Amino acid sequence: MAAVRTSSEIGFNRIAIVAVLVVTIIFLAPIYWIASTAFKPRNLATTIPPTVVFQPEISPFVKLFTKRSQMRSPPSPEEYAAAPWWERVVFDGGEKIVRDGKDQVQWSGYPSRFLNSLIIAITSTVLAVGMGTFTAYGFSRFKVKGEADLLFFILSTRMLPPVVVAIPMFLMYRAVGLNDSHIGLIILYTAFNLSFSVWLMKGFMDEIPKEYEEAALVDGYTRMEAFFKIVLPEAATGIAATAVFCFITAWNEYAFALIMTNRRAQTAPPFIPSQVGSGLPDWTVIAAGTFLFLLPVAIFTFLLRNHLLRGMSFGAIRK
Amino acid sequence: MTQIELRGVQKFFGAVQVIKDLNLKIADNEFIVLLGQSGCGKTTTLRAVAGLETIDEGDILIDGKPVQHLKAADRDIAMVFQSFSLYPHMSVYENIAFPLRATRKSKAEIDQEVRSVAKTLQITDLLAKKPSALSGGDMQRVAIGRALVRRPKAMLMDEPIGALDAKLREEMRAEIKRLHIKQGSTTIYVTHDQIEAMSLADRIVIMHEGVLQQVGSPDEVYSRPANLFVAQFVGSPVMNVADAAVAETASSASVTVGGAASGFEFPRTLLSKLNGHAGGELALGIRPEGVLIRRDAAEGFMAVETQIVEPLGSFDIVDLKVGSKMLRARTKSGFVAGPGEKVFARIDPTQAHFFDKASGKSLDVRL
Repeated sequence: MAAVRTSSEIGFNRIAIVAVLVVTIIFLAPIYWIASTAFKPRNLATTIPPTVVFQPEISPFVKLFTKRSQMRSPPSPEEYAAAPWWERVVFDGGEKIVRDGKDQVQWSGYPSRFLNSLIIAITSTVLAVGMGTFTAYGFSRFKVKGEADLLFFILSTRMLPPVVVAIPMFLMYRAVGLNDSHIGLIILYTAFNLSFSVWLMKGFMDEIPKEYEEAALVDGYTRMEAFFKIVLPEAATGIAATAVFCFITAWNEYAFALIMTNRRAQTAPPFIPSQVGSGLPDWTVIAAGTFLFLLPVAIFTFLLRNHLLRGMSFGAIRK
Repeated sequence: MTQIELRGVQKFFGAVQVIKDLNLKIADNEFIVLLGQSGCGKTTTLRAVAGLETIDEGDILIDGKPVQHLKAADRDIAMVFQSFSLYPHMSVYENIAFPLRATRKSKAEIDQEVRSVAKTLQITDLLAKKPSALSGGDMQRVAIGRALVRRPKAMLMDEPIGALDAKLREEMRAEIKRLHIKQGSTTIYVTHDQIEAMSLADRIVIMHEGVLQQVGSPDEVYSRPANLFVAQFVGSPVMNVADAAVAETASSASVTVGGAASGFEFPRTLLSKLNGHAGGELALGIRPEGVLIRRDAAEGFMAVETQIVEPLGSFDIVDLKVGSKMLRARTKSGFVAGPGEKVFARIDPTQAHFFDKASGKSLDVRL
């Protein structure tokens, strides 16, 4: 290794830094766009050229969570004064919040879609990672007849784009009554992620020295106990990395959610664009919905970032 | 009080037989070392005793009870691995406590036993640390502590100090020996290092290609090797082995090595002791300390030329050209100045070994 860096090395380094910056900006620009639109007043959302400096508003989020209707005339001063702050910001936009007979605020479709997304993504991630971990352990530790063929078969389920089977899947789901159900999407996403989970976890399992379990076996534990007490803690990094990827896939999935669900089990991805079509699109509300939708993945990834970085380089180096 | 016995143990990996009809009795409190090159089946034998490897035939008995069908957990045996295998996510304390947690001991009992083992091994100040923060020697101590804490019927050690550097290895060797004398438990220790085996063992078991070659005390395997393999595997520097021809002279016997012009003088009784083998294919084995050299000619000494001199500090190893063969002799350091010197050599008959070349077996000739 050269102790002194040559000028060409420094030059290359600078070019690399510029390139990384450019790529980062390209990736972050849409996220900035969504985040800023989510806080814009409605009339500034679609200006050309775009408004960069503005007074941020919370109204898009209030509108996102509530059912609203157009008002023919502005509310009376008494009515306006009696309303809570979150209702006033809706009045300001010329709309009012819909209430039922008992004067209860009516929620929009968004919260339930968001909850569906959470339930379906988390459950399918737990299932895919759980089954993947056990399967990978089996392949990694025991002599399995036709191991290479089986692993190839598992991988082969990812060789087609899943959408190819969307129509037959839809017909099958309708026949057994799984369409528009949570369990239907959970099964689907678990199946998508399982092959990925098995392969990734096998890599991690192979890295855990067999001697740890053997030590536990000699120390008086059964193989199952050794698995839970020794192997699982050792595989935590791999499990975290696999879980993030599975969660992102399930969370972001659009095509099957669009085809298989319409109300009860609909997830956020097909719901958000469906709002564009109803009446004059309020882009600030759509941006608010998208912004909130980005958060769970961002938080999840942020919490596990150390595991992820280790996970990405894990298995690359022979220790 | 634990005896271990292996009876007719056979083990195959696919078509390869790694243990061939192994029979061995290990007495209570005995320190047995399985010695051999890598791939000789010694580790497989150890793992079979531990229950980490199944055997295809034979019996493994612990205190007279066959255990080959028992799981590792049910054999009440502890094992120290070459890689130490300390659980990385647990502290030293938890590592040592781990085998006790598998039993129904109370927290207070576990704590007391962990601390008492830690005290014996002088690792009390390390208890809170994670294994990754330990030095090689300390990891080794913790691994031994984890094995000892349950007071198992027997201790198995698979090259436990093989991963340490030379100086530490010597220290730990002494520590293991001290510990064995103090604690006294039936121990099977696997190594490929004959010095380790010699220094630790009550009895050494030498294995080669899955076959037991010789069982005996360090002194026995060193001074009475059963065959050519043992003769050359045990001892450093390695024993000289050369094709030999024995002839009768007027007053004595003569052993010619490497087709040299003249032979080394041996007592006449050699002829009768070889008992007919004298005409057959013979190999002479002589350790470097059995090759005696001097600067001036003397009765029974043969003129030879020195080749390479290897100074090893406390002594030198000198290569002597005898016919077409090199004999290595051990001398006082500095005795021979360098290559090309004329010296006079003879072989100490009491240290000579004779082997049948075809079978490799020792003819057990003692002069």
